[in-house]
Amino acid sequence: MKGRFLPHPGSARRGREALAQAPGREGSVEARSCRCAHCGLPVPARLLREGGERQFCCSGCRQVHTLVHEWGFDQYYRIAGQQDAALGPAKVTGRSFDDFDDERVRAEATDPAGPGRLRTRLYLEGVHCAACVWLVEKLPAVLNGVDEVRLNAGTGVAEVTWRPDRTRLSAIGRALDRLGYTPHVHRASRAQEARRAEDRAGLARVGVASACAMNLMFLHGAIYAGEHSGMDSPYETFLRWLSFGVALPVILYSARPFYQTAVAGLRAGMVHIDLPIAVALTVTFAASAVNTVRGSGALWFDSLAMLVAALLGARQLQRASQRSALERADSLRGVAFLEFARRLEGGLPDAPAVEVPLAALVPGDRVEIRSGELVPVDGVVLSGRSSLDNAVLTGEAAALPVKEGDAVYAGATNLGARLVVRVEAAGVTTRVGTLLAIVQEALARKPVLLQTTDRLVRRFVQAVLVLAVITGAAWLPKGPEVAIERLIALLVVACPCALGLSIPLAVSIALMRAARAGIFVKDPDALERMRQAETLLVDKTGTITEGRPAVVRWQGEDLALDLARTLEAESAHAVARAFQRSFGRPLRLVRTVETVTEVPGRGIGGRLDGHDVRVGTRAYVAGGGAAVPESLAAAAADAVLEDLSPVFVAVDGTVRGVAAIGDRVRADAQETLTSLRARGVRVRILSGDHPGLVSRVARELGVPEDAAHGGLTPEQKLDLVSALVGERGGPQQGPSKGGRPLRRPSVVMVGDGVNDAAALALADVGIAVHGGTGATIAAADIVLTREGISPLLEILEGARSLRGVIRRNLGFSLIYNAVACMLAVAGAITPLAAAILMPCSSLVVILSSALSPTFGKAASTKASAASGVA
Amino acid sequence: METIFVLLPLALLIAAIAVGFFVWAARTGQFDDLDTPAVRMLFDEEPGIGIRDSGFGNRDSIPNPERRVSE
Repeated sequence: MKGRFLPHPGSARRGREALAQAPGREGSVEARSCRCAHCGLPVPARLLREGGERQFCCSGCRQVHTLVHEWGFDQYYRIAGQQDAALGPAKVTGRSFDDFDDERVRAEATDPAGPGRLRTRLYLEGVHCAACVWLVEKLPAVLNGVDEVRLNAGTGVAEVTWRPDRTRLSAIGRALDRLGYTPHVHRASRAQEARRAEDRAGLARVGVASACAMNLMFLHGAIYAGEHSGMDSPYETFLRWLSFGVALPVILYSARPFYQTAVAGLRAGMVHIDLPIAVALTVTFAASAVNTVRGSGALWFDSLAMLVAALLGARQLQRASQRSALERADSLRGVAFLEFARRLEGGLPDAPAVEVPLAALVPGDRVEIRSGELVPVDGVVLSGRSSLDNAVLTGEAAALPVKEGDAVYAGATNLGARLVVRVEAAGVTTRVGTLLAIVQEALARKPVLLQTTDRLVRRFVQAVLVLAVITGAAWLPKGPEVAIERLIALLVVACPCALGLSIPLAVSIALMRAARAGIFVKDPDALERMRQAETLLVDKTGTITEGRPAVVRWQGEDLALDLARTLEAESAHAVARAFQRSFGRPLRLVRTVETVTEVPGRGIGGRLDGHDVRVGTRAYVAGGGAAVPESLAAAAADAVLEDLSPVFVAVDGTVRGVAAIGDRVRADAQETLTSLRARGVRVRILSGDHPGLVSRVARELGVPEDAAHGGLTPEQKLDLVSALVGERGGPQQGPSKGGRPLRRPSVVMVGDGVNDAAALALADVGIAVHGGTGATIAAADIVLTREGISPLLEILEGARSLRGVIRRNLGFSLIYNAVACMLAVAGAITPLAAAILMPCSSLVVILSSALSPTFGKAASTKASAASGVA
Repeated sequence: METIFVLLPLALLIAAIAVGFFVWAARTGQFDDLDTPAVRMLFDEEPGIGIRDSGFGNRDSIPNPERRVSE
């Protein structure tokens, strides 16, 4: 049955070829609306197959559907139909995944899982809904040697348990690929495992603290009641000792993180927010324990346990929201920038290609680079002609033609035909590898911040400690016992609860909402720095612009545009993709497409609805005898002046339109940058593209000429950022020992390519835009998963309103503390009053955080956030 | 009333067992993924779905367009 259900990707005749070679057939296919049997998108008219029960929008969907059907998994479509999630066209790479079998690659995400079994974590592209979980987890039913697959729908990471003696990882990879889920060995999984272990321990601590707190409330309730109505002393003693026993796990196990951070803070010479909490816990527990032994005096075990449970709960929530941002970033990064190379075995030009990991390559090897693939190595072209897109590496948007003997660099995209390249360097020794090393270095240079360096908090902590000392001192004349009791009352009721809750709650809710808006904040402190943004440095290609060629302007007749769009839908060339991207799928106004011919580097021609249509360079359309009207020639000349490529559309021997193709400025760029400037942020453009082009874009966006820097190498970008960062915050200004000085305007860098990564890492806030490379995502503090740069404005606004919420929470805490302090000083706070007051203050903080409008005003978030805490 | 000397510790012991199970569950990662199990439970098991051996796991019959090197 081999090959029957899995068509050879090379031999799979694309629908359009089949149709184009069978003239006359298309005429009978009605231009009716028809949906793809796999993904549900409309099927282009030219792909409709007469008499076909099922129609497909692309070859990927056809392949996946055939396989799903062949394996008896049709239930997938029933499950998918119940989901709202929109499926996209399936992507099948047709790779062999031989590199997965290489020990070096496999070991990065594989652990033993019982005798003869291994467990490998794979990141799957294209996981979007419950049906995907169903389909992927059905894999053991058809793959010999696969025992179990567990897919996490949120992160797209699948854990595959398999037997190395019965199958290979490459076979699993191929099966997943043919189902439309391109697998990647999940390289980031080690770091995630460590974080996860921390999370699990945290959850266990919260659980223990909560359970103990509730039981302590019952026990203390009995004690309070007993005090009222009179209780025999053996019962009271018994209850006291029971309380002591139940409080032990809280103080010894659950509360441990508070002591650890407080001590770590003190060692670093800082007053950490955990310090008053640790002091309060210790003093409270010690005093209550003494009172237990003595058999008289107040017990505070219930307040203590409640305090620990509430604080740990809030932190767990914050960690969970931060972790989801980190995991999302890790998953994106887990798709290594360069994963494999197709090495040609033997010396013949048509030698078979084997996919190998980059580490297996040695200089002198020959690798093949197909159209649309990334160049995996630095090397020299041995055969083939093509054009390369170096934008990721250099920031230059233009396609660079290459031929035999030209040097190519890892990271470029092959836009044209197949190339064979002799390897000069692979992995860390390539130019891109060196850049990545700079990123690592810049990350290491970035000061590590202790979790909270906010001055407000530090002052607050100091104030509370001073208050506690004053209270203690005020009551000392009445005897040390009374003084200690008042002090405890203050420490338990007043300071830590609101303090410890107000910041993590506000932050975690902000992070969750930001994530819902496609903004993943890896470092919450970056929001604080973003708030003080003074200079915003933006990359041009791929950040301000879309980074891919698109039709910027069209001048000519509508009919010609329809014909050109339909014709260009037949090609995979860069120009054709620009048409497809700019206008979407062609309208079905054109009925028949025949005799399509493509001349590489020049254009494409064909007969559409009886018209002779040619789309391409001026020479190409003129070769068909087409004359160019003056107005259109002028439009083309204008386009050239603006660094755009004019593409001529000739219909029946006359040029009817000109499309100007280039890297389009994002639709939201102008508005976003203007709004940012209106909020007092200086915007500067940094680009590797040539200065003329950069200043043109700057003009278009209203950015002053002197704030647009073109022709920068990655190193120059880094120098510029480090000069700006250094200029603002010299060490002379930095009073804090643990972190960078806070009251200074910060430098924000926004970018997408490897050439921006080092600058992102060094800037106060690094933001990677949607579609950024792995290195950028690793280096950035904030990762956008939404198209466009308008999220920048949301981040700034969100950071500012978060600050407002934190201020409000702390302000409330301050008032609450002042009142509680007076009560404590007056001796009015009994253990019973504390047990009532504490939850009330927490509730106010929770409500204040949950109802804040930080990052959008999604009502559902409020509800879930509030219920998650309550 | 003396019964609370027995019943209270007993109740706490039961609570301790429950907490112990929770700690075990948390530590073995059963709360790691809170989204997927919610959808997973909705799948109806249809017996006999799929075919046990698609031939995909067998090296020789893997439709591999790239690799035709014998081992």
